[in-house]
Amino acid sequence: MQGPDRPQRERGRRRAVRKRARTGGKLRAQIAAWFPPSGYRVHSKLVAAGRKEAGNILKEEALEEKGERARMAAFIGAMAIADLVKSTLGPKGMDKILQSTGRGHSVTVTNDGATILKSLHVDNPAAKVLVDISKVQDDEVGDGTTSVVVLAGELLREAEKLISQKIHPMTIIAGYRMAVECARNVLESRARNNKDDPEKFRTDLVNIAMTTLSSKILSQDKEYFANLAVDAVLRLKGSGNLEAIQIIKKCGGSLKDSFLDEGFILDKKIGVGQPKRIENANILVANTAMDTDKIKIYGARVRVDAMSKVADIEAAEKNKMKAKVEKIIAHGINCFVNRQLIYNFPEELFADAGVMAIEHADFDGIERLALVTGGEITSTFDNPEAVKLGHCKLIEEIMIGEDKLIHFSGVELGQACTIVLRGASSHVLDEAERSLHDALCVLASTVKDSRVVWGGGWPEMLMARQVDELARKTPGKKSLAIESFAAALRAIPSIICDNAGLDSADLVSQLRAAHFSDDSTAGVDVITGAVGDMEARGIYEAFKVKQAVLLSATEASEMILRVDEIIKCAPRQREDRM
Amino acid sequence: MPGAQVVPGGGGGKTEKYVDNKRKDDIRMANIAAGKAVADAVRTSLGPRGMDKMLSTANGDVIITNDGATILNKMEVLQPAAKMLVELSKSQDIVAGDGTTTVVVIAGALLRQCQILLGMGVHPTVISDALHKASEKAVEVLTAMAVPVELSDRESLVKSASTSLNSKVVSQYSSLLAPLAVDAVLNVIDPARPNSVDLRDVKVLKKLGGTVDDTEMIKGLVFDHKASHTAGGPTRVENAKIGLIQFQVSPPKTDIEQNVIVSDYTQMDRILKEERNYILGMIKKIKATGCNVLLVQKSILRDAVTDLSLHYLAKAKILVVRDVEREDIEFISKTLNCLPIANIEHFRAEKLGQADLVEEIHVGSGSVSSKCMLSSNVVRSFVILHGTSYTRMNSLYSALHRVRRLTSALVQIVKATGIKNMGRTTTILVKGSNALVLDEAERSLHDALCVVRCLVNKRFLIAGGGAPEIEVSRQLGAWAKTLHGMESYCVRAFAEALEVSGVPIVGMLLTVVPYTLAENAGLNPISIVTELRNRHANGEVNTGINIRKGQITNILEENVVQPLLVSTSAISLATECVRMILKIDDIVSTR
Repeated sequence: MQGPDRPQRERGRRRAVRKRARTGGKLRAQIAAWFPPSGYRVHSKLVAAGRKEAGNILKEEALEEKGERARMAAFIGAMAIADLVKSTLGPKGMDKILQSTGRGHSVTVTNDGATILKSLHVDNPAAKVLVDISKVQDDEVGDGTTSVVVLAGELLREAEKLISQKIHPMTIIAGYRMAVECARNVLESRARNNKDDPEKFRTDLVNIAMTTLSSKILSQDKEYFANLAVDAVLRLKGSGNLEAIQIIKKCGGSLKDSFLDEGFILDKKIGVGQPKRIENANILVANTAMDTDKIKIYGARVRVDAMSKVADIEAAEKNKMKAKVEKIIAHGINCFVNRQLIYNFPEELFADAGVMAIEHADFDGIERLALVTGGEITSTFDNPEAVKLGHCKLIEEIMIGEDKLIHFSGVELGQACTIVLRGASSHVLDEAERSLHDALCVLASTVKDSRVVWGGGWPEMLMARQVDELARKTPGKKSLAIESFAAALRAIPSIICDNAGLDSADLVSQLRAAHFSDDSTAGVDVITGAVGDMEARGIYEAFKVKQAVLLSATEASEMILRVDEIIKCAPRQREDRM
Repeated sequence: MPGAQVVPGGGGGKTEKYVDNKRKDDIRMANIAAGKAVADAVRTSLGPRGMDKMLSTANGDVIITNDGATILNKMEVLQPAAKMLVELSKSQDIVAGDGTTTVVVIAGALLRQCQILLGMGVHPTVISDALHKASEKAVEVLTAMAVPVELSDRESLVKSASTSLNSKVVSQYSSLLAPLAVDAVLNVIDPARPNSVDLRDVKVLKKLGGTVDDTEMIKGLVFDHKASHTAGGPTRVENAKIGLIQFQVSPPKTDIEQNVIVSDYTQMDRILKEERNYILGMIKKIKATGCNVLLVQKSILRDAVTDLSLHYLAKAKILVVRDVEREDIEFISKTLNCLPIANIEHFRAEKLGQADLVEEIHVGSGSVSSKCMLSSNVVRSFVILHGTSYTRMNSLYSALHRVRRLTSALVQIVKATGIKNMGRTTTILVKGSNALVLDEAERSLHDALCVVRCLVNKRFLIAGGGAPEIEVSRQLGAWAKTLHGMESYCVRAFAEALEVSGVPIVGMLLTVVPYTLAENAGLNPISIVTELRNRHANGEVNTGINIRKGQITNILEENVVQPLLVSTSAISLATECVRMILKIDDIVSTR
């Protein structure tokens, strides 16, 4: 028993040692490259000594990084992630191809930071933190998913410099905290609110949408899509319920052929022989078995002694289904939408009763349909008065491209609408959907919090200036950290310029000069490649997005800064490894 | 592994700025090269003298085709950018149905020009913007060139359909297939919605046997299978009343599990009798409505028909077609103007469809099948006589048997004609001497149908033979010069110079279409294209390459026309795709 087992374990141990040596060697080389050789080498030796003693505490194959090494590992990981998405930032940012290594090698082309990061293989814990903040940003405000990662990366880059000057991480954190507070205040004080003037507010919204879209695939038709998105969001009347906006993608046509439809479109077929057009429809949305209503007791069976009895049972089953259909029809409906299949028999019964029956609408489909028509999803049909039916003015079949779809117009929930996207290929469509989703999210959050700021690097430069002033007022080592914070903020416009192939050093210094006056609205207009008045050019951004970027990037970098030890648990042994 | 190798492309954490343009350029160049390679693969199949490709798939099937979408679809490319070109061809197939090769060739040429521009140091987004502008202008020029066409003008429609067919294997038959395609589409247009055609209302059936010459359009309904006459049922019914049933004519089966308990010998007899009576009862009900043709939907739950029920149906002189697919039910019920019946209780006369004649006919010659049958019998007897190497013989026998089954199933079809109140559907029966020709004929016919559909959607025609491309190229060149003068348009001279440099290039490369056309036809492309350009400059807008004559003529007079939609969508889709490829600077492998 022990005989064959021992070499196995031996090999495992050897592998672990080799692995440790490999990673350790690489790291040591890197650390040596960054830091003056004296001092740190001693430290790393100490770490090594510590590990030797603590070796028995952790399980075999578990990895442990301590002190400087841990911090460096975290920094490298986070910065690598930030560098990866950096080039997608701004209106002239580039796209990435995401090639899946899984089955089918499916290909995604995207500019969306959250999408890129979500699908990465990440093994570094700090990198994971950045991926997470990007996800949170996506959930909270929908846009700025790249900015937040890039800003966090820049903050860490600055922090790294400070650490090499032997400033304690906690001092840096304290400085960052003061800086972020100051930056947030100044941004808030300069934000504009046009909530009371609907017309101006709409222009704000369109401008915000255009700014968001300008970095995406929809940039050429941004005006069109901005208006489309604003129309869709304004229909929601402040509810911010993006569920009511449905996006349908259909291959073919060009992006300009996309349109907003007031109503709901279901990508399903109407049953054979049923009416294709219904006015003043009463809709019952259901999730019930319409194939066979079986007894769901395991092993239930009937024993009979004659064929006629089998026929009787079959007839009884049919009748049961018929009764069910009759009950459904008794609700006074003329349209029945089921999540599950509707078999031929009930389908015919519905056709005979002149009821439109739509089968196999998926979960998403019926939930949305129930929402927009104001109905409820039903599974039992015994008391019609308790069931809430959905209503709409007109149901008809429409053709988009080559496909027939079912169109519900004049729905109960007047807020609902459908955006039908058309485009050359599924890649274009997927990316267009992501872009539009970003725009919709930003707009929805702006409707709730209507403060706007200018874009094009304006907020960063404004904040950087105030933070710089704060640094001058603050005594102590903290001021260094505050200064670094300002530098990190200034890196954002410079990256945007770099991506556009512009001279970033020149433009950012021009911008800094322009921001010396208190009420400057200057920013970089990447399209023309010059510093310009952001208000006049209509480059707006939502205050909420900027604030979220600022706060969560700072928090994330603070978290990574605090790290002084990384412990990686031993991987679980696989049973089948013989 | 912790440390530096977290993500590919993320370099070291050096404190100075991380600039790694080398890799980005490499990726972009690799993408462009891949895209160009794909375009080159289909380049030679463009035009009436374009060559075909033979594709052999992983499972050993062979396809011979000229259709760009089909070639690319089967190529199984792996490079992501190349995949995008394949997608591009697919979406052209969806939008216009034709021009699937053209669109890829244009995209390839655009990529080639972009490569030059990138080499000059132009920022990709600037090229991308210029491309967009140029493609919009190109569409504008094309629209201005187009000639409106009425649906009543059958001749023009036929002409454009034959232009599409001319580049295919079946080009000899274009005089037959083109009118067929036009009639088929015109037949299914719903007067309530004159601007859209659902090609699903046109059913294309392929049958081996005969030549493409025998292809016909059938005003009626055709089933792929033969009638079930194992029990000697009728194969020809006049004044047919057709029932489309979704229930099964077989012994009852319940959803709940059931056992019939037979405790003695006499009961067995009784049960058999009951089964017989049950089926007989059903058939009597069917017969009572006057129904004499029964179409039975395939069922996965139980036998749709049994030998017993077939026997009774034959006795009742009812023609039976079984194994009708569920997807086909809608088409059939629309064509026959009948309703599907899902329960015997609902079997009523008003749900039946009516036709003058339903008959089983033989298509092509039956000799193939009889020969196979003969040889399979020979082999079998051989096997029986000599017991040796039975397994090998048996496999031979089963192969022959399969061939026999295949051919015999293919040569018989059921046809219903003279349908009363027939719905707006059409069936086209395509025939060919072998499977390869048959498949290609079907694909070509699909293209032709799409061309006609395009004309229904957007009723404009433009000249073919490279004429529009040359014209667009010329006009874009001129337009680019005016752009140069408009200082106000372009905000900075730098950006402006780039934009302008982008525009004539689009124009120039559009000549790739006539160039390739000429090249594929064995003409001297340079002299042809330059002469074309010359003639266009002199105002002969509709001059194009006449491949058949090998010279330049007024292409409208030569009846070489194509729908506007095909050209415009080819240009706009190709540009959209190229712009997307240009914007990519990294390939990240993910989960």
